[in-house]
Amino acid sequence: MILSISWKNIWRNKVRSLVVIVASTLGIISGVMVVGIMEGWVEQRLHDAIYNEVSHIQIHNSDYLKNEEINLTVQDTALVAEAVKQLPGLKGWVARTKMVVMANTPWANTGIFIYGIDPEREKQVSEIYKKIIPGAGNYLDKDKPGTILISDKTAEILKLKQYCLTDTVIGKLERGEFPKSVLSKLAGIKDERFRSPKDFRAILKSLLTGKELDNYGRQLMDSSLEYKIRNKIQITLSDEQGTPVQGTFRVCGIYRTTNTGFDQVTAFVNAGELAALYDGKSILIHEIAIMIEDIENAGSAKEKLSGISRHNTVSTWKELAPDAAMMNDFMIIYYFIFIGIVMFALAFGIINTMMMTILERTRELGMLMAIGMNRRRIFSMIMLETIFLTVVGAAAGMVGGWVIVMSLGKTGIHFLSWGEGFEAIGFAATVYPVITPFFFIIITIMVISTAIISSVWPARKALKLDPAEAIRTE
Amino acid sequence: MKVLELKKVNKIYDGSEVPVHAVNDVSLDFDEAEFVAIVGPSGSGKTTLLNLIGGLDMPSSGEIIIDGTNLSKLKSSQLIDFRMRNIGFVFQAYNLIPVLTAKENVEFIMSLQKWPRKERDERTLELLNAVGLGDRINSRPSKLSGGQQQRVAVARALASRPKFVLADEPTANLDSKSATTLLGIMETLNHGEKITFIFSTHDPRVVKMAHRVITLEDGRVISDDVRE
Ligand SMILES: Nc1ncnc2c1ncn2[C@@H]1O[C@H](COP(=O)(O)OP(=O)(O)OP(=O)(O)O)[C@@H](O)[C@H]1O
Ligand SMILES: [Mg+2]
Repeated sequence: MILSISWKNIWRNKVRSLVVIVASTLGIISGVMVVGIMEGWVEQRLHDAIYNEVSHIQIHNSDYLKNEEINLTVQDTALVAEAVKQLPGLKGWVARTKMVVMANTPWANTGIFIYGIDPEREKQVSEIYKKIIPGAGNYLDKDKPGTILISDKTAEILKLKQYCLTDTVIGKLERGEFPKSVLSKLAGIKDERFRSPKDFRAILKSLLTGKELDNYGRQLMDSSLEYKIRNKIQITLSDEQGTPVQGTFRVCGIYRTTNTGFDQVTAFVNAGELAALYDGKSILIHEIAIMIEDIENAGSAKEKLSGISRHNTVSTWKELAPDAAMMNDFMIIYYFIFIGIVMFALAFGIINTMMMTILERTRELGMLMAIGMNRRRIFSMIMLETIFLTVVGAAAGMVGGWVIVMSLGKTGIHFLSWGEGFEAIGFAATVYPVITPFFFIIITIMVISTAIISSVWPARKALKLDPAEAIRTE
Repeated sequence: MKVLELKKVNKIYDGSEVPVHAVNDVSLDFDEAEFVAIVGPSGSGKTTLLNLIGGLDMPSSGEIIIDGTNLSKLKSSQLIDFRMRNIGFVFQAYNLIPVLTAKENVEFIMSLQKWPRKERDERTLELLNAVGLGDRINSRPSKLSGGQQQRVAVARALASRPKFVLADEPTANLDSKSATTLLGIMETLNHGEKITFIFSTHDPRVVKMAHRVITLEDGRVISDDVRE
């Protein structure tokens, strides 16, 4: 009885109830969205940090971590290798040479880390081989000597990247039904070479309208881009005696991860070829990278490996990519803060509405108390009304939020204009929002508790009414 | 049989600067099946008296005894329950729950009292027929005229067979024809159900229909006439 009265009561002032419902729907949709996006980013960053950059565990010479010198190699490698192979749930492991070198082209130079790797084994622990830009060469190949894999960013720095609207590019765009009006505006820069994306974007900006730039800018940039694959890069490094030595490598391919900071300083060559430069006898091991089945076991694996040599340091992904680890640990707090704010707003709106309702219904409530609704019943009636109102709004919001996140989770949201800023700190410009069932349950619980908590106040207010006074109210 | 007894009841409002003696030393007895009008000029204390009788307000002194129970001896939670079981109320307006139909409104107190469904339905239909609304049982209050709404309220007040029904100016918002109809219905039910009605009014035609008329002035009973 009370239940059905409460339910009917919330529809008495339809407009007001709808406002509350729409407001909570929007609040929750945005809450679910923001959390979904943050969660998507965190997952992506975590995945990329581990699979492109640091693996689950790495072993270095302790001194190498302070000062990356050529002779500070991993100690007792045979013992370490034996122990690594014994790790439960081992997915794969590699030993790498890692050196600080200077890389030059005739046009520019830059300092980078060069990794000497076994390209095939490397696939066990790193997804770099999947990150080759389509049409920009291939991953390292043991059978093609003298090659180097560099990143898009390094190519840019070394001026191995250029933008040029050639006839081929124009022809391809035309066939792809690219608007002729836009192309005709660009006739003046045909066959002109731009060495940096900044210059090219600047010229596009001067020639096109903002809307055209938004719609076609990226496509123009992508299709005009060409890498000078097969160009030579000269590498300079110090050998074990400190004598500078040089070698020349041909670019075999260009990769790009979501972390420009990592890309900028990372290039790969065959380990044997790097060894030939510094002494030619053996391959120095500066880094051992390990991937295991379950990320949760990284800590215990570290313990198993730590005792082998006191000269080595074993680090887990949490230490190697502290930003990703911290996000992973602290994001949940941000979620709660954010959801808390949404809930606070929700509670505020609901309490306000219910207070208004009680004010309007003073006489009716007085009458109900006079004829025999006791305090418990009045209290539960108002509480139920409040809860119904919240739950209807919240349910709509959660369904809406879930649908949006699910569909965006497939297509992804592209942050065009901020993309570069994000990628500089390791976030993809395209995010795929994620909502875990766990999180959904948390939101549901929070909404219901908000509803209950915010219902107490109006219900108590109703209890304070004096029936004789309430009936007299004009 | 005595259903209600007031012994030297006083009510003084001392909220404002000048204390108001709204009910002054009132002693009254009411028997079963009485049909009583309380009259008097505006501010004479009619509403205050009815609120005291109904347990909505507490007297400053004196005793109100309903069917052997002294109201001031009850705790506030017991009082609400006591009210629900023993007293029917009809107010001037806002009597009904707007979201419920006429039938549901009449049933309301019975369902709070957990009457079995069958008895509840029978009683509701009986009363709605008695007030002449047998064909409007599923109408919401907003679809009924003021007079019809007051008739539903009378049916509701009687539904759980209280000791007596209190009605503070039940006809104040009605035209004279509806007022007379309502009073006629109240009188018939008073007769049939043997339930005492105590109502206040300003309307001389309504006063005429009462069997006993109590006149108040400045909170005192100045006359108490029983008619045949
Ligand atoms: N809550 C209150 N606080 C202070 N004084 C009150 C209060 N309620 C009523 N009074 C005063 O008590 C006196 C009696 O009021 P009451 O409402 O009982 O009169 P009434 O006979 O019902 O008048 P009316 O015919 O206008 O309804 C009046 O002087 C009124 O101002
Ligand atoms: Mg009055």
